[in-house]
Amino acid sequence: MSEIALRAASGAGDHRRLSPARVAGAGLLGAWAALFWWLLASGRDALYLSTRTRWVVPAGAALLSLAALGRLATARTTHPERIGRREAWVMGAVLAPAVLLASLPPATLGQFSAGTRSSFSAAGIVGAGDLASGREITLVDVAAAQTTPEGERALAARAGETVDFIGFVTRYADTPADEILLTRYVVTCCVADATIAQVRVVNVTPGRFRPNDWVEVTGTIYPIGREVIVNASAVEPVDRPERPYLTP
Amino acid sequence: MRTLEELPVPEIARPRAPRPATARTGAAVLLALAAIPVIVRLAQPQRAAWVQAAFIIFGSLLIQALPFVAIGAFTSALIEVLVPIGTLERLARLPRPLQLPAAALAGLAMPICECGSVPVARRLALKGLLPSAAITFMLAAPIVNPVVIASTFVAYRGRQALWLMVGGRFLLGALVAIVAGWTVGAISREELLREGPTEEHVHAVELGRPEPRWRRFFVHLGGDFLFMGRYLVLGAALAALVQTFLPAPWISRVAGTPVLGIAVMMVLAALLSLCSESDAFVAASFAPFGPAPQLAFLVFGPMVDLKLTTLYAGTFRSGLVRTIIVASFATTLVAAMWLQVLSG
Repeated sequence: MSEIALRAASGAGDHRRLSPARVAGAGLLGAWAALFWWLLASGRDALYLSTRTRWVVPAGAALLSLAALGRLATARTTHPERIGRREAWVMGAVLAPAVLLASLPPATLGQFSAGTRSSFSAAGIVGAGDLASGREITLVDVAAAQTTPEGERALAARAGETVDFIGFVTRYADTPADEILLTRYVVTCCVADATIAQVRVVNVTPGRFRPNDWVEVTGTIYPIGREVIVNASAVEPVDRPERPYLTP
Repeated sequence: MRTLEELPVPEIARPRAPRPATARTGAAVLLALAAIPVIVRLAQPQRAAWVQAAFIIFGSLLIQALPFVAIGAFTSALIEVLVPIGTLERLARLPRPLQLPAAALAGLAMPICECGSVPVARRLALKGLLPSAAITFMLAAPIVNPVVIASTFVAYRGRQALWLMVGGRFLLGALVAIVAGWTVGAISREELLREGPTEEHVHAVELGRPEPRWRRFFVHLGGDFLFMGRYLVLGAALAALVQTFLPAPWISRVAGTPVLGIAVMMVLAALLSLCSESDAFVAASFAPFGPAPQLAFLVFGPMVDLKLTTLYAGTFRSGLVRTIIVASFATTLVAAMWLQVLSG
């Protein structure tokens, strides 16, 4: 007689015991769910995702909570699975990133990554008509001017206007002492797809700002070909914005 | 109608049971986890810019991808408990020239990212769908779905190549997925899949008395998520390291070199491991490359990248993973070269 038939006949199927593997799995799922709830409650999701994909955090938190509770509810079984040594370490490795992310101080991509990222292509986001409409110029508009001829022409038509940008300071070895590059990352889904929007700011007090400092620049904009320069009338330190990445 | 669990379980050779974890093992794992915050506090990763960047990218990849893996596992568990086994087996008897295009177009109804399509494809194969059709579905779904079509449209709006990119991505994505599925050939489920979560076997044996559907649903949901999660963590770590150091603007130096430009963009897509819903914005930033290499980036990336390759390696047999990679790469490259020739 087969094993199944024997078990059914002996009534072994009625005797359920806790499965250590399922309890551990429920704990792992619960820990990840807790991380997602914490990201949502603390606003830390803004350090990793754009506003467009922010919905995945509550969705992930809810799904993972459901999966954890469901796994716990099915933890009593007729064949409790034990955890192997290797499996225990693998589960630890899957849990480790959740612990790591909860332990990290809040931070955003800074100057280090600016050199490895391409410029944001804003052609599909900002039309020449948008820039010609006279609305306030943003860093995304600047990116449009740097990546398309139409955007370049539209921004050139607004040379001499006053702008107000917030971004972080980027400086390289060959950056003149009275200049900074004002940078902001544009994130579509998550930080992994970040591209940059950047302007050169002149007339900055030498030595006042260090790389990665967040500043608000007020000044006059001068697009020169694909390079966009802001002649600063004021550069003031500011706190990192609540949503540090721009969403196109 | 019978479900998979109700079928008799064949006698199969099982690997020797692994050594069980002791209380000491559990304590060691918990201690290692507890050490992480202490190490972070002492090492202060913010002092090393590259470490901080790598952690942020790693975190963002996981935070974005894990919910999609959960959605994939959820869908997979629903298929397991709701779709009677005979349904997909009947589909599997249709001729392959009909099945593969249908599998590719089925992605239109599944707006899920590439990470979510892997557990779904695995479950479809387990439930009796032809393995090559499951592969075709898995490769096509992240490209042909409406959300990705819309994001490609937005990224290229205002460009001359708008419709070439939107239409080309859809058609080429479906074509490459069909070719890859065809190349996989008429293999069996056992030749396709590696050993899955252990609960699946135990669960099948347990059915001397049928389990309620809700129990089976949660067993499969948790099992699939935990099974995929480990490979996702590994893939995200590799992708984060590459993203931290790979200077994307340097890639533009080979723009304009006919075949090399296409190949480099495909390799770049594989290394960056972007989500198919956002990769069009990155591809569009490589304007000097022209439409053909950008299209190759958009088609190959959602099929083969670092985090997906680790998921594939955990799900499918190694020979099959190689077949998927080679077939997808070769077909995309040749099609993009033709496009480059035709578009001048």
